[in-house]
Amino acid sequence: MRTTRAATAALIGLVALTACGSSEDDSEGSESGSGGPVTVTDSRGEEIQLDAPADQVVALEWSEAEDLVALGVMPAGVAQVEDFKTWVNTVSLDDSVTDVGLRSEPSIDAIAGLQPDLIITEADRSRSQIDDLEEIAPVLVTEGSDHRDNIGQMQTNLEMIATAVGEEDTADQLMADLDATIAEGREAIEAAGMADATFAAAHGWSEGGSVAIRMFGEGSLLSDLAEELGLSNAWTGKVDEWGLTTTDVEAMTQLGDTYFLYIAPEDNVFAEALPDNPIWQGLPFVENGKVHELDGGTWAFGGPKSSQQVVDEIVGAVTS
Amino acid sequence: MTMVETSTVARAGHEPAREGSGWSAAAVLLAALGLVAAIAAVHVTQGTSTVNAPDLLRLLVGRGDDETEAVFVASRLPRMLAGLVVGFALGVAGTLLQSMTRNSLAAPDTLGVNDGAYLAVVASAVFIGGLSPLQSAGIAMLGGLLAAGLAMAVSAGGASGTTRLILAGSATAMAMLALTNTLLLMKPEETLGLYAWGRGTLAQTGLERIAYLGPIVAVGLVLAMFMARRLDLLALGDDGAAVLGVHVRLTRATAVVLAVLLAAAAVTVAGPLAFVGLCAPAIVRLLSRRVGGLGAHVWLLPVSGAVACVVVLASDLVVRAFLTGPYGSEMPTGVVTAIFGAPFLIWLAARHRGSSPARSSPSSRKGALLGRLGFAVILTIAGLVTLASMAVGMLLGDTTLLFGDLTNWLTGQSGPAITFLLDSRLPRVLLGVLAGIALAVAGTTVQAVCRNPLAEPGIIGVTAGASVGAVGLLVVVPSAGVGMMAGVAGLGAFLAFAAVYGLAWRGGLDSDRLVLVGVGMGFLGASITAVLVLEDTILSAQAMTWLSGSTYARGLTDAIPVAVALVLLLPVLAFATRELDLLSLDDDTPRVLGVPLERVRLVALAGAAALTATAVAAVGVIAFVGLVAPHAARALVGGRHVRVLPLAALLGASLVCLADTIGRTIIAPDQLPAGLMTALIGAPYFVWLLWRTRV
Repeated sequence: MRTTRAATAALIGLVALTACGSSEDDSEGSESGSGGPVTVTDSRGEEIQLDAPADQVVALEWSEAEDLVALGVMPAGVAQVEDFKTWVNTVSLDDSVTDVGLRSEPSIDAIAGLQPDLIITEADRSRSQIDDLEEIAPVLVTEGSDHRDNIGQMQTNLEMIATAVGEEDTADQLMADLDATIAEGREAIEAAGMADATFAAAHGWSEGGSVAIRMFGEGSLLSDLAEELGLSNAWTGKVDEWGLTTTDVEAMTQLGDTYFLYIAPEDNVFAEALPDNPIWQGLPFVENGKVHELDGGTWAFGGPKSSQQVVDEIVGAVTS
Repeated sequence: MTMVETSTVARAGHEPAREGSGWSAAAVLLAALGLVAAIAAVHVTQGTSTVNAPDLLRLLVGRGDDETEAVFVASRLPRMLAGLVVGFALGVAGTLLQSMTRNSLAAPDTLGVNDGAYLAVVASAVFIGGLSPLQSAGIAMLGGLLAAGLAMAVSAGGASGTTRLILAGSATAMAMLALTNTLLLMKPEETLGLYAWGRGTLAQTGLERIAYLGPIVAVGLVLAMFMARRLDLLALGDDGAAVLGVHVRLTRATAVVLAVLLAAAAVTVAGPLAFVGLCAPAIVRLLSRRVGGLGAHVWLLPVSGAVACVVVLASDLVVRAFLTGPYGSEMPTGVVTAIFGAPFLIWLAARHRGSSPARSSPSSRKGALLGRLGFAVILTIAGLVTLASMAVGMLLGDTTLLFGDLTNWLTGQSGPAITFLLDSRLPRVLLGVLAGIALAVAGTTVQAVCRNPLAEPGIIGVTAGASVGAVGLLVVVPSAGVGMMAGVAGLGAFLAFAAVYGLAWRGGLDSDRLVLVGVGMGFLGASITAVLVLEDTILSAQAMTWLSGSTYARGLTDAIPVAVALVLLLPVLAFATRELDLLSLDDDTPRVLGVPLERVRLVALAGAAALTATAVAAVGVIAFVGLVAPHAARALVGGRHVRVLPLAALLGASLVCLADTIGRTIIAPDQLPAGLMTALIGAPYFVWLLWRTRV
């Protein structure tokens, strides 16, 4: 009995092994025609060399997953697929995309099981995690946010990924599209006489008996995009390295009369809790009807596609 | 001369103090309320808008603008009132609990009420969502009652001694917190904002919660005042009170339910604000030694409430004036009350006179007669279980492998994919085993030395010291390697251990005092760690997982410090098993037999601290192993350490290894940290253990 079971187990193991071997051969055979060897230098300064542009790619952060889809390469695995669908709606993931677990602690098993030829992650992940991933496949590390130049950083990330998957031309097109959208937006805002307008952008949630408001300050991608449109950020308080800070309703009195934009796909405190609040009611931008909800799926930390959506949403709000 | 007089009054302070005229107590109450008013007046001038004191004064005389009025009504006033509501609720709840248990260390925190209520609120946010403040309060109340009921039941209502009550309470609290953290990790979206709130904050948007819960707290206060006389009589002792016509059980039950109601209301308003309910009544009882009449509950209750308000509002003042985070975010108020309150607990514990009947030698009658052969059989089985756990740990995970894969891998015949999977699982399994051994051995040693089957490194504050060191290092040097981490965690563990040992030493080591001071040190360490984590938003997710004990992304090099510690210390402890046996009997036997008592005790405890620190550096905080493994081992093979040590080590290894395997399998591809799993397994075991051994 026990021997049979062990034998069966061994047999299944062997079958699995043969299956593995053949699928590896397949991927090399079918895709190597699409381009020669590629070399790309990532944000760590590491040179990543691939025999052919990658097509079996695992993306552990959403911005990179979005870039891949926009470049026409459907990722094999993405972290927190369900949450991605809630927060990012500019691109959609196929059902074939495997969930590889949490963004902070992706499952090594699941990633290895996909046999990727490239893994993309961000720099603030731990050294040991990146070491583990490199055992599976080459790892391309991008920089999540650069508070001095987020748009430049986004472009750098996009170009690194594009080189690795052999889609440089598509990347150029995506950036050109974004530039065009920004230029159109700026014109629309000027035409509406809003060239000197200010804005504030926030995300909020309830925290016990109070409402917490996270402001997009200077140094956030959203703020950089709005500044490209000729607007200036009304929030001047301290921010973290993503350009964000968390505060309360009272602090909104510092914003003055501005365009107040918010994103709240879940727990929409701006529509539910705050309208009853006397401070909120008395704020000039509330009294003047300048509060706008951005589409819930506007990912303010994304790539060119999400950025285009951010720009469209801001322009729509300010010129309406 | 006056000294003599006051000290006589002090003795009488705990008795129903009819001799005091009440005038001086009334003066104290007035002074406390005056202080509350003064702090409240400063408190409302703080905030994130530009509204300042002159603006508010103009508002007061009817010449303020609309914005000032809105800010005052919807932000400043609610926050100040929240401080008052929470202060009175916690002060009175703490007083009631301390009077009912006749125990100055009882409080909503030490009895698990706060954590029970917090768990209930988080669970309802995850599973139900969108509750009104009143519904939240009701659910918080249920959670608090459950936790308090558990803690009281296993410690016979506190009658079985301070140490048992506090251990039962803090074990309950740890279990509740483990469950809460599991929910926070698994459902980050539904519980966004509940982590910071879980530290306790007065922030309020509008008067809604206050409007619901303020009246509840007021009613609770009035009811407590009606009970004052009976509470005074109960202080005479159950028999005395019964003779004087008090229905003891009914009074007890009512007072405890009332206390839990008040604490739950406070949690609903502000989250669990740590230690307010402990230190406010303690301060007042200290005062009552000097002030005649203050010992009577009719004064004790309101003055404790007022002092608690002072503590809460003053902490909030300090937080907002000095502790703004580096990115402009606010620190939770509870962080300050905890850092102020935990030393208070330590101080109270250090004054504790060990006379508890709870103390029992950690030997077990069962298995004491076990023969050599029987022991060999049990040890072999335990060894096989450990090997089986390791095998299961290698095979299970996000991808399930089969036994054949393992044999292929062992003989070098497996293919690349399976070789990779097993290679990447090996360090996790090995680390689990090594950490399990280290924690179990440390637990066995600490229990023998403390002569208390309920002590373990986690409970006597060593683990908390190690995590302060490790998390502190992560904040300063995010890229620190495991060697450095082990070193700094070790330093933290030793400092915490030295502090506990030194503070508990009063002309001799009393094991109860050691445990109580250790519990206080554990709370202090946890509070400091919380500050470090909250200060660094980028780090917090990483630190949260680490604090929950995880083997994720660990390599073989991470195992080196634990392995070294084990290689160095296991032989030392193996040679000292006879001394450990003697030490766990009493103080006199080892002295008579010429064992250098203090030296052995110090060496054993220091060794335990080193093992704990290296385990913590390797896998983070893994709770309850040091408690469960030695106890189960004693139950199987009796109390002799030459037998207990190896068996406990094997059981600890299996426990951590299995907990880790379950954690990375059940919700794959997501994973639960091993420490949460051991807490979920270990805490019920601990409570059951307390229940079984209750007096």
